[in-house]
Amino acid sequence: MLRSIGKKLLELLLFFLLMSVVSFCLLKLVPGDPVRSILRVDDVAVSNEQLEAMRDQLGLNKPLIVQYGIWLKQLVQLDLGHSLITHRSVFTEFAGKLPYTLSLTGGSLIVMLLIAMPLGTLSALYRDRWIDRLSRTISLIGSSLPSFWLGLLLIQLFAVRLRMLPPMGEGSILHLILPSLTLGLAMSAVYVRLIRSSLIESASQDFVASARARGLHPARVFLFHTFRHSLVPLITVFSGSMGSLLGGTVVIEVLFAYPGIGKWIVDAIAARDYPVIQGYILFMSVFIVSINVLVEMSYRWINPEIASKGKEIG
Amino acid sequence: MLTIQNLTISSGSQLLVNGLNLELRAGEWLALAGESGSGKTLAAASIGGLLPRGISYRGTLNWKGTDLTNLPPARRRKLLGLEIRYIFQDYQGAFTPFITIGKQLDELLSTHTDLDRHARRALGIEALERVNLPGDRVYRSYPFQLSGGQLQRATIASALMLHPALIIADEPTTALDSLTAQRVLKLIAAAKERMNTSVLWITHDLRHVRKYADRVAVMCRGELVEQGTKDEVLYTPSHPYTKRLIAAIPPLSPDAPERLGQMPLSRRLKEGALK
Amino acid sequence: MRIITKHDLQAGRKLQRPASVAPILLAMSVLALIMAAPALAPYDPYNVAIGERLKAPGAGHWLGTDHLGRDLLSRIISGIRTTLGTSLLILACSMLIGVPLGLLSGYLGGLCDRVFKRAVDAFMTLPDYIFAIVLSGLLGPGLINLLSAVIAVKWVSYARLARSIVLLEKQKEYIALATLSGVSPHRIVIKHILPHTWGNVLVLAALDLGKIILMIASLSYIGLGPQPPAAEWGSMLNEGRLYYHTAPHLMLVPGLAIMLTVLLANIAGDRLRDKYDVRNKERA
Repeated sequence: MLRSIGKKLLELLLFFLLMSVVSFCLLKLVPGDPVRSILRVDDVAVSNEQLEAMRDQLGLNKPLIVQYGIWLKQLVQLDLGHSLITHRSVFTEFAGKLPYTLSLTGGSLIVMLLIAMPLGTLSALYRDRWIDRLSRTISLIGSSLPSFWLGLLLIQLFAVRLRMLPPMGEGSILHLILPSLTLGLAMSAVYVRLIRSSLIESASQDFVASARARGLHPARVFLFHTFRHSLVPLITVFSGSMGSLLGGTVVIEVLFAYPGIGKWIVDAIAARDYPVIQGYILFMSVFIVSINVLVEMSYRWINPEIASKGKEIG
Repeated sequence: MLTIQNLTISSGSQLLVNGLNLELRAGEWLALAGESGSGKTLAAASIGGLLPRGISYRGTLNWKGTDLTNLPPARRRKLLGLEIRYIFQDYQGAFTPFITIGKQLDELLSTHTDLDRHARRALGIEALERVNLPGDRVYRSYPFQLSGGQLQRATIASALMLHPALIIADEPTTALDSLTAQRVLKLIAAAKERMNTSVLWITHDLRHVRKYADRVAVMCRGELVEQGTKDEVLYTPSHPYTKRLIAAIPPLSPDAPERLGQMPLSRRLKEGALK
Repeated sequence: MRIITKHDLQAGRKLQRPASVAPILLAMSVLALIMAAPALAPYDPYNVAIGERLKAPGAGHWLGTDHLGRDLLSRIISGIRTTLGTSLLILACSMLIGVPLGLLSGYLGGLCDRVFKRAVDAFMTLPDYIFAIVLSGLLGPGLINLLSAVIAVKWVSYARLARSIVLLEKQKEYIALATLSGVSPHRIVIKHILPHTWGNVLVLAALDLGKIILMIASLSYIGLGPQPPAAEWGSMLNEGRLYYHTAPHLMLVPGLAIMLTVLLANIAGDRLRDKYDVRNKERA
């Protein structure tokens, strides 16, 4: 047990090291000069002396490997540098934006569950009946919609026509509704199908037939036997799609002018704010890896067989 | 006790069981034999209303004076929990893999009885011990922590726990090695003696029939082709299909030589009948 | 007990249903459409006519005009080439990069394969969407950069699929027989293993197409795609949203175009998957 945890930790460490190299090199390889973009902010003619002075100040004249070393050393101290634009610490900026994105993600997950759970379940229970056909059609169309377009339509309907909700920005819980609805709707299209197929697969298991043959109530069989069995594939897919969920928040945040990390990174890319971009890539990898660890732990609860064998899924 | 009259099972236009008549008396062990696909499993499933969706049945199923065909769901569940219990071939699928055996026994007891928590636990462990399992340990185990034989015995413990009047055992030994199979059959036989339980034993293999069953019924392609006491069916089979089944029995038991002597005869009969 | 499950019955019923080729034919005609797009447009999609701006759909301009008086129908049609054409190009490049690498890695095995597997796994952990945004953002806006960014994140899944198929096929007896009878390794890969990968790769590609179209559209929408005046459905939406009140068609039409295209791609993907039954293979 201890050995497997140690191995896992070592793997994680290697992964983060790799990510740091990737995010560092990426920015060195792409075209564009951060120094120019910093100085261009002032929108005045830039002399070569100024460029050189700035390079020295940022340590960009040192060899790459030395630059990486310095960067990594700061990284270990949780110092990701300062934004070239706002001059605030990347870490503080990130910490300030994260709650917005987390509440958006949480909100859309709630919307997704509220829609996909009942529809997927009904679809599985009444397979090939009208409700199944209906929900499959909805989910097929839903998964073909560009999420930002759906967002635009929702803004027009709820904010412009009905004037029920604020169209964009942040401030109150009301501002969260439209973005969450947009992302949640887009996600549920995928999950309706998934929940349906996973439940159907679980319902055809022999142990479900056995439980019914013991005279247990169908609702009880469904909740405690079928449903729990279907959670494993669902959670696997869910953890795998965490990345696209976060990617989805980027577009939605831009669309709704919502000040989360998605909008932050798009602004940073536009301004070539390199420390922010590097920090963002690292934060995202940490975030996604932690989700994966959580998911792995949840398998152990859902299926003790996995825990006893120490076997991984997916 | 159980009377099946004119049972017809069909899937769409396809006839799977055709006009089956069968009677099972209290305390009797009836072997329902036939190859896979002969409809014996479906016939057994229809007793508890466990036919899969898309398969329907007609006919009379009379259980101690009640008609089983039109039972309200709640009544049927009680019946399945208390009076008629199934044991399936696939012991791996008998218990839900991620719930402990104890919890599943407890679930069964709390659904069908009014016993309190301690009584349920005591009863569960006692049932496991009665099939020679280390009760306390198995009670706390997950199904995957048990061997195949242990699992099938736990299934039997669960089936016998509430003293059912009828056990429907659908190929309970097919997935087991022959020693374990013997033990499982002995357990069922002991329960039958102790509680006067009837047994409907679905099997494609006539090997053990002579030792355990009282009567034998043979099904072929959805129809009952022969039934009678085990001696009648095994020693003087009248239908060519039964003769073929008997001929297929490999010599196994210590008293095999005596049986072997009969086999060429039956084979000759079979060949004669087939040509 | 081997109860015949509903599953078995349904599976049987499904087999009897004739496989529909309609969506595949449709996909073919879409390809032809991409080729013929410029010839089909009734107007020049880039012709600015301020006097004609923001016209509602009607005679003359069937789908109306945009804020610069350009004919919307012509722009949608020329957008077929940018949006769908780009997506198909991305698919083709991802396959051409991913499949050979995956085949090679799987076939060679050993250390080479282990390193490759590690790298691919690490890559798969990254959220492709975010990676594409960052990459295309850093490369700068523009169609070619967008294309490269999406290819950079997409090829990995093809490599992974091809590799897993090789590993699966390698265990089968016919490959051993071919090796024993002295068939050269590259011949085995090309003649025996490659045909097996096509079906699976095709299904993955068809299911991916919709996602790529959506990805391109949304990247264009946040301004990372082709720059004006290029006609791309996502950037057309971006331009059109400012005029929603006076000209709602500017937002509805490109959105519907994206939706219908993705819908067709998804339907085709589903049909293909049913045909090749990839999911069952993955489970096994």
